[in-house]
Amino acid sequence: MAMLDRILNRPLPSRPRLAYLWVALICLAITLVALPLRSVFDAANIVMLFLLGVVAAALLLGRKAAVLGAFLSVALFDFFFVPPHLSFAVADVQYLVTFAVMLLVGLVIAHMTSGLQQSAMEARAHAQRSQALYDLAKLLAGAASVEQVGEALKNFMAQHGMEVALLLPDDAEVLRAAPGSQLSLNETERTAAKAVYQTGHSLDSSMLSAAEQFRFYQYLAGASRGRGVLVIAPQGGDARASASDRALIEAVSSLIATALERLHFVAVAHQSQLETQSERLRAAILSALSHDVRTPLTAIYGLADTLVVSQTPLPSAARETLQAIRDQSLHLNNMVSNLLDMARLQAGRIKLRREWQPLEEVIGASIKLLRPGLRDRKVAVRLPDNLPLVQIDAVLIERVLCNLLENAVKYSPEQSQIEIGAALQGAELLVSVCNAGPGFPVGKLDAIFALFERGGAEPGAAGFGVGLAICRAIVEAHGGRIQALNPASGGACVRFSLPLGQPPSIEPEVLS
Amino acid sequence: MTAPAILLVEDEKEIRHFVCAALTEQGFRVAEAATMAQGLIEAGTRKPDLIVLDLGLPDGDGEQFVRELRAWSSVPVLVLSARWSETDKIDVLDAGADDYLTKPFSVGELLARVRALLRRNARFGEAENAVVRFGEVEIDLMRRLVTRSGETVHLTPIEYRLLSLLVGNAGKVMTHRHLLREVWGPSYVESSHYLRIYVGHLRQKLESDPAQPQHFLTETGVGYRFQL
Repeated sequence: MAMLDRILNRPLPSRPRLAYLWVALICLAITLVALPLRSVFDAANIVMLFLLGVVAAALLLGRKAAVLGAFLSVALFDFFFVPPHLSFAVADVQYLVTFAVMLLVGLVIAHMTSGLQQSAMEARAHAQRSQALYDLAKLLAGAASVEQVGEALKNFMAQHGMEVALLLPDDAEVLRAAPGSQLSLNETERTAAKAVYQTGHSLDSSMLSAAEQFRFYQYLAGASRGRGVLVIAPQGGDARASASDRALIEAVSSLIATALERLHFVAVAHQSQLETQSERLRAAILSALSHDVRTPLTAIYGLADTLVVSQTPLPSAARETLQAIRDQSLHLNNMVSNLLDMARLQAGRIKLRREWQPLEEVIGASIKLLRPGLRDRKVAVRLPDNLPLVQIDAVLIERVLCNLLENAVKYSPEQSQIEIGAALQGAELLVSVCNAGPGFPVGKLDAIFALFERGGAEPGAAGFGVGLAICRAIVEAHGGRIQALNPASGGACVRFSLPLGQPPSIEPEVLS
Repeated sequence: MTAPAILLVEDEKEIRHFVCAALTEQGFRVAEAATMAQGLIEAGTRKPDLIVLDLGLPDGDGEQFVRELRAWSSVPVLVLSARWSETDKIDVLDAGADDYLTKPFSVGELLARVRALLRRNARFGEAENAVVRFGEVEIDLMRRLVTRSGETVHLTPIEYRLLSLLVGNAGKVMTHRHLLREVWGPSYVESSHYLRIYVGHLRQKLESDPAQPQHFLTETGVGYRFQL
């Protein structure tokens, strides 16, 4: 049985002509062995010897050689063993039945034996491929980079006599050959690969009209999106790839897709870990900065203020100096607050704590908060009656209004009035803060909201340009827009919009 | 009557220095502590009339301090906060602090808050203060009567409940959650728009300029404060 297995597992001779020669030799040898026994053996047993030869030919030399062997055996049997000897003529007609049966049995044996061998070989090839695929899967599972995936793929395909190109999309969704691709593609092939990537359906050259050499184009499907395209040139560019080749290509494609998917998510996880770390660091720095900067500022402001308001009489020059120190430290504090807020806003991680509230309240709180900074300016608030509630983060909108008010004070003449107004327009609430200043420089109405821009060129007006940039960031985070305008009636206005929504209902109070 | 005693718990020496100077100049007796542990000991032994507390102490959180303090004392606490986060302020107020000041603050503001809290504490439990007056408004808490320029102001039951709660805690910052729970009930603590609308009603009825209120003050992101 072991011997049979060994024979069955032997590869067939690659050159068919040699096989035919061998078959002829086998049949001749049987004839030579049987000739001396012609008088001793019954004709039926001679037939058995020939059939044995056919079996041997089928096992060793393949189906075609065995078929030739079957015909040769019948001819040799007729010529040497059926009377009259050394002639194809047949004396006894019943031998015709023997010939027919002998040929039939020979052909059946040839067919069955070679079929058996073929399926044994297929099973063996199948097992080999499974093992190879398993090895590839193991390699890919351990791959830590796209390079390693490409290398493993190249080696695997080379073992199976195929060449590959692994095409992966870059950030701009353009397919690029990954390292390890040894197959260089021409323009047609690249176009085909691109089409496969875009449609998500695998192709081979037989489905393409303009194909030159036979190629498989395998779409590498990931869970969420395509991971790339695998272009495979089969052995010798042979278009008639067997079913098992196709199955192998399919299997390799899905292994590669899985490996790429895994690498992608590893990268994503790594990236988000990095981001979390840097985010934590940023938050820690901002909070430390906030504390470290504000503590001395609080001390400077407080110490100066203590002396300014103290009952001990001071020379007026000293008092003025102290007032200047106090005001400047407050100003510095506002600047630091604006910068820190901008840093938080630019990190894009600011979480709006939106609640439904009347705009009036936020305006009132802003004016109250900024009261010392308003100096001699009067603030007029003109709001229509029954404004709907808006869903806003009051702390941030307060910051917008404070910055706009501060700006208005900075650029308007002394004793002038600052106006805050609001109006409903469509699905938006428009809020404006206007001053009686000279207006914004024409042509820079948008630029003033960019970081580190300043409206006018007055040397006296301090500013950092961060204030308006923060206003824009906050308003846009609320889904609104902000713009600067110089009304025809004079002065300067900044107007921003807040989207109106569906405010929650209020249960009317039951009056008893 | 002896001058009120104030305990200042603050780890930054310079800030302690000027706060102490400003308070002493106003005639207060001031004791200082640089850590939470020391602050709690001082609060227990000296029995101050008011505590000024920094939110970020080296050995613990201001909120923790207030929680421990509130276990055995109801002395008013004014918090000095360098933090920008409104939730920190809300937490320390919910823990039992009475008011807060965000750094940097002016001496004038500090003194005003200190006086308001001391006054509130002194009035505690005195029946003759059942009438509160501010501007043209007079609130008779005993008779549940509110007048403005001598004319009766009509308030709904909820408006009156909110008013009496705010007025009864004058000078103290009341968080949104606290007010909603006390006036509307626990199931309304997330419905802050109710509170905002009713505070708006009170301002319309009792403030001379509702858009720029002088008494019903907004502590943005935190709550409200009634100021006489």
